[in-house]
Amino acid sequence: MKELILAFLGSFFPAVLFNIERKNLIWAGLSGAIGWGIYVLLYKITGGVVMAIFVGAVCVGIYGEAMARILKTPASVFTVPGIFPLVPGITAYNTVLAIVEDRIRDAYDKGIETIASAGAIAFGIILSTAVFKFFKQGKMAKTMDGEE
Amino acid sequence: MNTRQVMEIALMAGEILLKSGAEVYRVEETIIRIAESYSVSCECFAMPTGIFVSSNGAEVVSYVKRIKERSMDLHKIELINSFSRSLANNPLPYDEAKRTLKRIENSPYFNFRIRLLSAGMTAFVYTLLFKGNLWDGIAAFFISVCIYVFKEKTSGITAFQFLQLIISGMFAGIVSIGANSFFPFLNVESILIGGVMILVPGFAITNGIKDALYGDIVSSLSRIGEAVFIATAVGIGVAITLLFGTRWV
Repeated sequence: MKELILAFLGSFFPAVLFNIERKNLIWAGLSGAIGWGIYVLLYKITGGVVMAIFVGAVCVGIYGEAMARILKTPASVFTVPGIFPLVPGITAYNTVLAIVEDRIRDAYDKGIETIASAGAIAFGIILSTAVFKFFKQGKMAKTMDGEE
Repeated sequence: MNTRQVMEIALMAGEILLKSGAEVYRVEETIIRIAESYSVSCECFAMPTGIFVSSNGAEVVSYVKRIKERSMDLHKIELINSFSRSLANNPLPYDEAKRTLKRIENSPYFNFRIRLLSAGMTAFVYTLLFKGNLWDGIAAFFISVCIYVFKEKTSGITAFQFLQLIISGMFAGIVSIGANSFFPFLNVESILIGGVMILVPGFAITNGIKDALYGDIVSSLSRIGEAVFIATAVGIGVAITLLFGTRWV
């Protein structure tokens, strides 16, 4: 519970730095809490970081697309702050720190984790966007068929 | 409105998008959509560091625009997005479109104090999230606020970005080692994680891979390259102070 609140704030404050409209800030924060909550839950169950991050990113993407339809704003307003707790910035920095301090084993581990989690997030977000686009186009094609 | 003016409007919209950190595919799509709403067909090639556009109708007009500074501003992306969509139904005359774009470019931002507070709070929150205690969080808050002020004051200087990152990293290292030697219950690593949170390139890496998935290979590689350099600069800054700090303090 404490972590969820922290993740909420951890998306809320970066959202201010990304200059999101005031009325959307709360929803952006909630997006971060959802992503982090699912990540922590899956990480505890399976013990795999990358898969947990991937599912977290998919959920952030779905939430963002749904809120974009409801509030009539682009989905990135919710997905960008939403993935902020998940993006591997600190891991990238730890990689470099490990290289400089001559801990090459750690650097390998952290480096691969950085690339894998960044890839997982990118795939997760794009997957949910693509699914929403696909259904939207399917719906449009159906109504056009109906009109003909 | 002639072709030259159409291309100017489209290019300006693209420039604002790219400066606000939009994805490359969105920049290209927007430019082409704006040109199409004035029934001009054009080709566009965008990269994180520049845009090329060229109309390919009866009259050929080309522009090249170099983009030097990029930051994250989702509000501007949103405004340009709705502007380009409204043009399709209702193509504005040149002067009016230009005025609208100028207004979007100078659209309001949260004031400096609020941004400063949220930079600090971001550090505080992430220190706690990565298992630091409350006092670590407060130290990280202080570091983050100082780094943000430093970044803002030196943002105009060209060829300074990497030096700026190294100095910020060194500052974070010095403060956290200093705090730890005065108050031994503070943990250097937790403070550093929060303190450098607003510098590290998590988004640059993720967006780089995202660009590759959309098929923009050039911009994907350049974003990932940028991320590697940012992480290196911050890491070196911190590592220098840690190296000397653990020997001398």
